[in-house]
Amino acid sequence: MENLTSLIGRQWIGSQEDFSINTDLTKVNAIEDSHCKRCGAMVNAKLPNGKRYCRSCIELGRIVEGDILIRNEQEVVFPKDKRQLTWNGKLTPLQEKISQKLVENFINKKNTLIYAVTGAGKTEMLFALINQSLSWGQRCCIASPRIDVVNELYPRFKAAFNKTKIGKYHGQEYVDPGLDQLTICTTHQLLKFYHAFDLLVIDETDSFPYVENNTLHFAAKNALKIAGVQVYLTATPTKDLLADVKVGKIEILQVKRRFHGGKLPLPKEKMFLRPFLSKGKIHPKLLKEIIAVIKKGHPLLLFVPRIEQIPLYLSALKQVEQLRQIKIAGVYAGDKERLEKVQQFRNQKLQILVTTTILERGVTFKHVWVIIVQADDKIYTASSLVQIAGRVGRAKNDTDGLVLFCYHKYTNQLRKASQQIKELNR
Amino acid sequence: MKKCLLCNQMFAPVLSLNQLLSWRKWHEEQLCHHCLAQFEFLPTISCKICSGKLLQDADKESLICSDCRRWQKIYGNNVLYHQAVYLYNQAFHDLMVNYKRYGDYVLCYVLQDLCYKNLAKIKADYYVPIPTSASHIAERQFDTVSAIYGDLVNLTAILGKIDGQQAQGEKSRKERLQSKQSFFIKAKYNIDLNMKKVLLLDDIYTTGRTLYHARDAVLTTFPKAKISSFSVCR
Repeated sequence: MENLTSLIGRQWIGSQEDFSINTDLTKVNAIEDSHCKRCGAMVNAKLPNGKRYCRSCIELGRIVEGDILIRNEQEVVFPKDKRQLTWNGKLTPLQEKISQKLVENFINKKNTLIYAVTGAGKTEMLFALINQSLSWGQRCCIASPRIDVVNELYPRFKAAFNKTKIGKYHGQEYVDPGLDQLTICTTHQLLKFYHAFDLLVIDETDSFPYVENNTLHFAAKNALKIAGVQVYLTATPTKDLLADVKVGKIEILQVKRRFHGGKLPLPKEKMFLRPFLSKGKIHPKLLKEIIAVIKKGHPLLLFVPRIEQIPLYLSALKQVEQLRQIKIAGVYAGDKERLEKVQQFRNQKLQILVTTTILERGVTFKHVWVIIVQADDKIYTASSLVQIAGRVGRAKNDTDGLVLFCYHKYTNQLRKASQQIKELNR
Repeated sequence: MKKCLLCNQMFAPVLSLNQLLSWRKWHEEQLCHHCLAQFEFLPTISCKICSGKLLQDADKESLICSDCRRWQKIYGNNVLYHQAVYLYNQAFHDLMVNYKRYGDYVLCYVLQDLCYKNLAKIKADYYVPIPTSASHIAERQFDTVSAIYGDLVNLTAILGKIDGQQAQGEKSRKERLQSKQSFFIKAKYNIDLNMKKVLLLDDIYTTGRTLYHARDAVLTTFPKAKISSFSVCR
C-alpha cells in the first residue's frame, strides 16, 4: 500500500486486521450473500475450517470468507489536452461515419455495439472516440478476451497516441500496476479494477472466454464508472447484447463492408459420407480440394477440431505425391514454436498450416484460403465459423477466395454461419 | 449428473453394477473423463525402487532410475521403496499450482480420485502423512497432504516440520537435494512403530529428498520400522 496513487481505480484483498485509517479507501466484505464481490460468482467451496472461498477468481489470489476487498475510489483527473491523437492515416468514408457516430454517442453517454464484418478496420474507427475521452482528461480501457489481440492492439495504440501513458496488462507477463490514462488489457484483468474507467471498449465480445462468462461480464460492469460508457466490438453479436439493443440500452452500428469495400467470401459447403481421415489417408475428394488450393498458389489454413488430430493430418498430407514439394506444418495453443510457425506461414515459407481454432480470429495472412475439416464438430460455433471465413480476402487487391466447410452432418451452427454471411453481403 | 471439479462441465459418473448392488458407500467421481485423460499413468516398465520413468539407457538396463542410483550410493541397499500412480506432466503441474499455490482446497477430491484405487491395494499398519510447516498451513488454512489422504485411510500424524524453511516446490533440483533434515517425531505420540509396516504419504515424489528425510526421522526413533512410501505423482 506504499503508493496509493498507482492503485487508483483498483481493488485488492486485505484481511480484517489491516484496517488502515486511510479514508480514501472503501472496504467491503469480500464475500457477501454467498457471492464473491470481486467476480460475482456464487461461493460454495469450503475450507476444512468451514470458511467458504471463491474458486472462480482464485488465480488473482484466494478470497476467503472474512477477507475484505479494499477499493481505491479516489478521483483522478488527467491534464486536458485536445491533441492526443498522433495518427495521420485516413479513414474510408464508411469508417469515418461510424467513427463520428461513436464520438457522438459517447458525448450523449450512450452505449454502442459495433457489429462489423471481419476486416472492417475496427481499430482505426476507435481512434477518434478514444481521443475524445482522453482529451477530456478521462481514463479509458480497451479490453479483449485474447492475449494475442492485446499484444497486437498495444503497439497500434502506442503509435497512434504516442504522448499518452498506456498500460498493457495480461496474465502472461507481470507488470506493476500503474495509473495509466489508457489501459489495454485482457478481460480477466478487469477483475482488478473498480469504478476506474469513463470509457470501456470490449473487443471480440463473441470470443472465448468472454462470451457467456458471467464472471467477466460482472468484472466489466464493475470496472466501469457508474456514469461510464461502454462500447462493444464484434463480428457476431451475441444474444445478450442483441437483447440489450432491443430494450434500447445499447445502440447498434452495423458495418457490412470490409474496409476495401468488398464482400465477404461466401463459404462453400460440402458433405462427406466417408470419414475425412481413415487408415492414414485423407478422403480423396478432400485431398483434391487441398491440392487445388496449392495449385492456384494460395497458402492454405486447414482447420481441424482437436490438437490430437494435427499430427495425423500432417503425416497423411506428407505422404501425398502432389504435395511433396510443399512445406507443411501444424500449430496449436501450447506449441512452443507457435509464433515462429505463424510468422513463417505469414512470410509464405510454409504453404499449408494445419491448425486448431487458435488462428480463428485476429490474424491476417495474405491471399490465404481456408478449409475446415469436420466443420460440424461442436467446437465450431457460428461465431467461430464466421471468423474463420473472415480470414479470407482481406487484402485490397485480393478480396475473394475459397472458404470450404466440410461436414458429415449439417448443423445449426453451420446454417447460422452461412446465413449471417449472406445477410451481411446483402 | 455431476459438475467436474476441473472444467466445470456437467458429466455423468460411471456406475458399476457392484456399486449399485452394494450397501457400502462408494467413491464418488469428481472428474469427467476428458479431464481424467489429461493425466498420464507412469509406464508399466519403470524403476523397480521408486516406480519412476526410466529415461537413460543405463536406467533401462538396470531397471533403476538415476535418482535411485544416487540414493543407492548414499544408502547402499537400504533404499526407500516407493509407489506412485501418475507421471508429472503439464496437467498435473497445473493441478498442483491451483491446489498448493492458489490454495484451491476442493482439488484434494480430485487428487483422491486419482489415487484411491492404487492406495487401497497397499496394506500398512500405519499411514504417516508428510507434514507441512505451521506457517504454510496458516496461510492456506489447510494441510495439503492430510487433506488428500485423510478421507481414504487412518492417518497417524507423528511427523512434524520445523518452521521457516523454503518450500521444496520453489527450489531448483540442486537446492532440493541439498536441503537439510527438517522433520521430527512429535513427542506427544506414544505408539511404537518398531516391526510395524509404515507407509509414508506425500503428494509428489520429485527427487526423493523429502521422503528420505522423513524416513530417516522415523528411523531415528523407531529403528526397526518397516517403511515404504506412496505418492500420487512421480
